[in-house]
Amino acid sequence: MDKTKSRIVGVRVNKEQETMLSQLQKKSKLTKSELLLKGLETLAEYYSADDGAEQQEEMQTALQRLEKEAMSHMVSLKKIRRKEEAIREFVREIRKVDEIIDRHGCKASMLIQILLDVQKQNNWLSKSALVWISERLKVPMTRIMQVASFYTMFSLAPQGRQTVQVCLGTACHVRGANELLTRTQSVLNLKPGETDPELKHTLKTVNCLGCCALGPVVTVGGAYHSNPSVAQLKELVEEHE
Amino acid sequence: MKKLKSVKDLKQFQKALLAERKGIKKSVAVCEGTGCHAYRSSAVADAFVKEIEKRGLEKEIGVRRTGCHGFCERGPMAKIFPEKIFYFQVKPEDVAEIVESTLLKNKLVEKLLFFDDKTGKHCAYQHEIPFYKLQNSVVFGNNFMINPREIEDYITVGGYSALAKALSGMTPEEVLEEIKKADLRGRGGGGFPAGVKWETTRNAPGEPKYVIVNADEGDPGAYMDRSVLEGNPHSVLEGLMLGAYAIGSDQGFVYVRQEYTNAIENLPVAIAQAKQLGLLGDNILGSGFSFDVTIHQGAGAFVSGESSALMTAIEGRVGEPRPKYTRTAVKGVWDKPSNLNNVETWANVPLIINNGSDWFRSLGTEGSKGTKIFSLVGKVKYTGLVEVPMGLTLRQIVYDIGGGIRGDKKFKAVQTGGPSGGCIPEQFLDLPVDFDELSKVGSMMGSGGMIVMDEETCMVDVAKYFTNFLADESCGKCIPCREGLRQMRRILRNITEGKGKEADLGVLEEVGDFLKEVSLCALGQTAANPVLSTLEYFRSEYEAHVLHKQCPARVCQSLIVFSIDPLKCSACGTCRKQCPTDAISGDKKLVHIIDQSKCIKCGTCFQVCPTRFSAVDKLPGGPAPEPVAYGTKAVQKSKGGN
Repeated sequence: MDKTKSRIVGVRVNKEQETMLSQLQKKSKLTKSELLLKGLETLAEYYSADDGAEQQEEMQTALQRLEKEAMSHMVSLKKIRRKEEAIREFVREIRKVDEIIDRHGCKASMLIQILLDVQKQNNWLSKSALVWISERLKVPMTRIMQVASFYTMFSLAPQGRQTVQVCLGTACHVRGANELLTRTQSVLNLKPGETDPELKHTLKTVNCLGCCALGPVVTVGGAYHSNPSVAQLKELVEEHE
Repeated sequence: MKKLKSVKDLKQFQKALLAERKGIKKSVAVCEGTGCHAYRSSAVADAFVKEIEKRGLEKEIGVRRTGCHGFCERGPMAKIFPEKIFYFQVKPEDVAEIVESTLLKNKLVEKLLFFDDKTGKHCAYQHEIPFYKLQNSVVFGNNFMINPREIEDYITVGGYSALAKALSGMTPEEVLEEIKKADLRGRGGGGFPAGVKWETTRNAPGEPKYVIVNADEGDPGAYMDRSVLEGNPHSVLEGLMLGAYAIGSDQGFVYVRQEYTNAIENLPVAIAQAKQLGLLGDNILGSGFSFDVTIHQGAGAFVSGESSALMTAIEGRVGEPRPKYTRTAVKGVWDKPSNLNNVETWANVPLIINNGSDWFRSLGTEGSKGTKIFSLVGKVKYTGLVEVPMGLTLRQIVYDIGGGIRGDKKFKAVQTGGPSGGCIPEQFLDLPVDFDELSKVGSMMGSGGMIVMDEETCMVDVAKYFTNFLADESCGKCIPCREGLRQMRRILRNITEGKGKEADLGVLEEVGDFLKEVSLCALGQTAANPVLSTLEYFRSEYEAHVLHKQCPARVCQSLIVFSIDPLKCSACGTCRKQCPTDAISGDKKLVHIIDQSKCIKCGTCFQVCPTRFSAVDKLPGGPAPEPVAYGTKAVQKSKGGN
């Protein structure tokens, strides 16, 4: 009989046992640690029926030790899985950015168009996305940051799920846009450009939405509303949460 | 769709389309422009489609979802053809009645007609409605006839016939000559003759040459370019192609604001359909002329509408202007000759080619030919887009078309030309509106924004508003614009907050003149116009702010004071419940009192106080009148109030 022993999930096993385990594993489609736990459960059932108290105690400590080892292994496995997930998420994001870049023919002249699409998709421009764009388009990061910070459409911090925009165009202005803005600010408890910590709302001001006949106008989640009162604003904001 | 390979193909295609639609005796055009869309006009269009399907009338009555009809104040609108009956503020519930009465029995639905309070009569037809009566919609008129997402609609009304005419019977030089003869001036604000610009680009050395549509309509309060582009995108494309043909270019760009979602959705559809029909691409209509268009979206920067800035943005860089020692017509995008015109200018081109330069010259004034679309907004009764021949007076536009001031208040000024323009006071109301006349009084026609202001508009606040806007939008490249605007903003802010000094007015004028002289681009050179024109015509308002710490129009939030008249207050509690800062105290039957230290002057109490009481006063300046003691019994009874 082969005496060489290897370790599986921290437990020493000989060759024979190893083959047996791997066969079992194939049949049951469990991971090694899960299989081990299963075995321990069966053992525990078997020994709990036994009367030998002393033996049982000994067995139990051994079982506990084994269980502990198996558990700690599970934990580290979980950690690895979470790391994997994070990386996968990152790759997914970059892949989407890649799609956008390719859609625009990977041309440096399309930088603004690419940033607009990324902003539309993610609601903001993350550093990882910007670095990737810089890599792909061979455009230095300084120029990308120059563009991203120059235009009002781009945000370099995560935005709320719902955007509330108060129009400050001239037509709205003369019809009381400032008072509407004050009301909106007090309802959302935000200043223009701010997002609440729970990422529910972002309050923005905009220079003209081109529907001057309705002025003063606020948009909540893309829908236009003409001069709502405090009570109506509260309703609109809650409706969209 | 089959590709059209020759001019004959296009004519046959149009004929076939007309024959196909012969059975349609009547049609409804429902406006889905941005204004009406915000009033949920799509539901109205859906209701029409459903109702007509229900009655099995699809073959006789057509439903068209169109672009803007102009009269945005009264949306959603539906126009019935061929009678040209307008229905306003149509709700989905009204649709069945319109179909039953008007479309089937030729009877009018009176409650949806326009009511003219001057004559006390209902107006049904386009030529009767005061808003439309004086208008001459040559550029804008086809919006009623076209679903912007269907190229067939454009072709049935004669679309692309100007292109066909040019490609089959005119040399590029002849097209250019026609535009030059028409004396078409750029509608974006500058008023530079388009033909001259085209010729410069045509003769400039370097290949390829580019043609560009400037749809970065940044002026707040102006939305005519948007309505043309989203309502009739093919007319702009056709104009652009004619320009490209005359100039010798095979690549065009459309630079459109990201905020114009509707236009951004319609434009690619239009381009794709034109390509499918072979009206864009290689060897258009078998003439050997090839042309392609790319759409570029702006990302929210006012200064990017300036030609050199826009071209830098097309290159994918930050849209900042550059000194124009060499014009962009000679060295533009990637240093190649590039001709840029605004949306409305391009949309005029097919009309000139089709109808001839003499027809175009018959409209307008000596120096400004043709029509112009204005966006008539602000405190005017009928807000909307109006297309009029150049040379109509401001009074005709504001009073005859716009119906005068809302609530019949007193007219104070009309602001034209966007942030680069100025405020025109009452004494110049009879001024004919064209490129040259408005500049004489310190304003400009600009792209066509017309913001009407009444006695409740504070002119200092308007000046502050524009200076604020421009200071935010200044790219910061040249120091006079960046720093000058910052200082002007600081001074104006002080004045509106009651911290102004007498010397401030002189400093404002000095900085303003300086900006005019030394700024790099048009943004800076014209940035002081709103301040200088208000200082000239409304100096007394500035003085009231500085000397008496009062805002006569009751607008500047730091100066005005809200107070409750104890004799009028009925203790209904409406204002107390709605005050966002709980600044109002009071109880049942007790006169309400505003705590001035808590008041943020949002105006909610003034807005919600029932008009039968009107107990909340808005005062031009402090200090607030001594409030009555808490516990004073209300004299007025709140009948049915809550």
